[in-house]
This record gives sequence, structure tokens and C-alpha cells, in this order.
Amino acid sequence: MPIKVYGTPTSTCTQRVLTTLIEKGLPYELIKVNLAAGEQKTQEYLDEKQPFGVVPVLIDEDGFKIYESRAICRYLELKYKGKGTELMPTNDVKALGLFEQAASIEMSYYDPYVSGIVFERLFKGMKGLGDPDEAKIALYREQLNAKLDVYEKILSKQPYLAGQDFTLADLFHLSYGNRLVKLNEGHFFESRPHVKDWWNRITSRPSWQQVLALA
Amino acid sequence: MGCSSSVSSSQPVHRTNNIQSSYDTRGTIVVYGMIQSPATQRVLATLIEKGLKFQLKVINLKAGENLSRSYLEKQPFGTIPALDDVDGFTIYESRAISRYLEMKYKDKGTELIPKGNIKVEGLFEQAASIELSYFDSYANGIVTERIFKKMRGGEPDMNKVAELRRDLAKNLDVYDQILSTQSYLAGNMFTLADLFHLPLGSLLLKCGEDELFESRPHVKQWWNKISTRQAWKTVQAMA
Repeated sequence: MPIKVYGTPTSTCTQRVLTTLIEKGLPYELIKVNLAAGEQKTQEYLDEKQPFGVVPVLIDEDGFKIYESRAICRYLELKYKGKGTELMPTNDVKALGLFEQAASIEMSYYDPYVSGIVFERLFKGMKGLGDPDEAKIALYREQLNAKLDVYEKILSKQPYLAGQDFTLADLFHLSYGNRLVKLNEGHFFESRPHVKDWWNRITSRPSWQQVLALA
Repeated sequence: MGCSSSVSSSQPVHRTNNIQSSYDTRGTIVVYGMIQSPATQRVLATLIEKGLKFQLKVINLKAGENLSRSYLEKQPFGTIPALDDVDGFTIYESRAISRYLEMKYKDKGTELIPKGNIKVEGLFEQAASIELSYFDSYANGIVTERIFKKMRGGEPDMNKVAELRRDLAKNLDVYDQILSTQSYLAGNMFTLADLFHLPLGSLLLKCGEDELFESRPHVKQWWNKISTRQAWKTVQAMA
């Protein structure tokens, strides 16, 4: 039984998992969940797949089920350690610590603001939840600018967020960052030379290019 | 956070957990933060669970010590906490610090991340992500309005609180389901995924949001179990 991913090729969180699968060279089957029709909120989905009613969910070859995109990616890296790209450091406790620091940076200082802007400017309207809240967007922009100024400092000393190597901590930024660029908000990356270099480096990885082609 | 400290900013206070205080920090774990800060508390709870000695160097947010050049060199985002390990290795972000401590001091004290079984580790990661996706921002939002804002002389936006409470309540309904078939979020072992909830969960209770836990029997049981752990009681006594 191949690895199954329940989600959609355009869902930002599903894209994290697909990118990881491709980096690891793992074959998989994407089973589309009809988000527009609210399939993820049906009792069947809640009972059998993901109790919070979101995508993605992964079912491994042996039937093991796991959800939460970042958890799925970490699990895949642990399980298929020797395959494809190494996406987390091994054995070196300091390197692992700095990886965890970088992974937390993405969650603390990037995701809330980027996903906030993307929600207000794109998903809110798509879900019929009203007009963009310009005051909120202005606040998110202010915060994101301040945080990316720090990214600029960090990335002036090292090529990737966790150090010398590309890791899941960088990968987790791709899908929402892409949405930001598509909304003509790429200036956040473009205006900072080291952030720009890093962004170009991670977005030009073949795995990400393949995921974009799926959408 | 804006908590006032009785210590002047020119004299850093070193507080140790159970050994006589010393200004010599060589060979000691040093935590930079404030005892009242939820994120600092996460790290202290982990240190105490692992039975690790440490010193707390107060970074007074109200006095802007987090924005000093020397602190920014340690933590470029200017937030607390940060930690120096015994060999001078510096790490920041409370959950990363906790995970690092568990990895480095694996055999000391309580085991806080299950090892040796990839499925069990995967379910730990799922639980750790649940805390971040479905609890942290809602709890933090409510507590910011009802406690931190007030401390700074502002008024809570009760409409915002109502919205956050409604969303958190929906998520805790799912927690109640999950916890009806297992004792802790990751399975049958207490892990960092549970621990990470303690600081904001306790603050929710402090500002009168008891109903969120009390009305959900399995959540209530889980909360009682994790909040009465000795390490957490010790952290609360320090504050």
C-alpha cells in the first residue's frame, strides 16, 4: 500500500508534506479532499481522518495515520532517514538544538503574520467571511517587516535558518511565502538581500517546483 | 509583559533553584528571562522535570533589558527566554530549548519525549503541533487581553476575548475526544506536548476562564494531572 496523503495540491499545509515526500524520493498517492464542498467537516472525515476538520492527513504504508503538516514532515524524516535529502541533522545535539530553534522561529515570527495577511487578502473572501480587515493587515505587515529584519541578520551569517544546511525549518516557509508573492507582496523578501538570496535558493529546489506544477 | 521588578536594571539578579546563589555562571545552565513570563516558565518546568540545576538571570522587559545590545546578541528577536548551556552554547525559543534539554540530558529526570519507536515519536510530534495550532494563539490572545493589557493600564477587548474563547472552546471539544481514549496528548506518557500548555493554561484559570477546562471531563482530568506535577508546582511557587 503506497503512502496516502489526504489534502489538495493547492492547500498550503498539504504542500509542505508533498515537498517533503519529493525531497525524500518517496512515492505517494494524493487523495483529494473536497474543501469547497466542506468534506473535511463531515462526521466521517472527523471520525476517520482528522478530528479538527482540516487537511492534510497522511496514512503510511502500514496504515499508520498522522496529521499536522509539520509533524507529518518530521515523521517522514525520522522514518525514512537514509532516503533522499537529509532534512534534519542527525546525532549532533547542538545542531539539532539549532534546528529546533529555526523550526520555532518559523512558527513564532513568520507563520502568524504571513498566514494572517494571506487569510485576510485571499482565503477570507474565498470562504465568504467578509472583506479584508485593513487594520489587521497593516499590523501584520509591521510585525513581519520587523521579524524579517532579524531574518536578514541571521541569514547574513549562514545560508539557511538552522545553519549551513537546508532543513525542514526552511521548507516550512515555502507554501505561505509563495502565496504572499502571488499577492504581490514579494517585496518582503526582495527588499532584503540575504533574505532574497535564501528565498531564491529554497524556492528553486526541484521538489518545490514539482509541487507548484501540481497546483 | 510589563511586570515591574524590584531589582534595578544595573544589578542582574541570579536566582538559583535549590543551591546557594552565586555570581559565577561558568559551568552552570543560565536562563535569561522573567519568572512571570509564560515562555520562561516552560523552560523552568523542563529544567526541574529533568532535575537540572540552573540560574535565572532576570531580563527586565519593563526596563527594556531585552533590547540591550548584549541581549540582542543572544536573542536577535529580543524576546525571552534564552539559555546558555554549561559549555556556553546558546539557544532560544522556549519549545526549542525544552526539546534541546531533553535531547542533551536524555537520561536525567523525567523522560519528556518518547524515543525508540518511530510511530510513538510521530504521535508526539502530532501532539506538539496540536498545542501550537489549536491552543497557543487562542490562549495567548485571551490572556493578553484579560491580564497583560490590564497590567499595562489598558482595557481588555471583550469582543475579541469572546471570539477567541469560542474558537478555543471548539478546539478543546476535540481535546476532550482525544483525551477520552488516552491519558495525555501524545499517548499514555506525559510529554513536552502536555507541559507546553501549563503556563498559558494556568493564566487562563487565573483570569476566570475555568469553564473551558471544567466543562470538559477528560480535559479537566488531564489538566488536573499535569498541573499538579511537582515540577510545575515548584515553578508556580517561584513566581
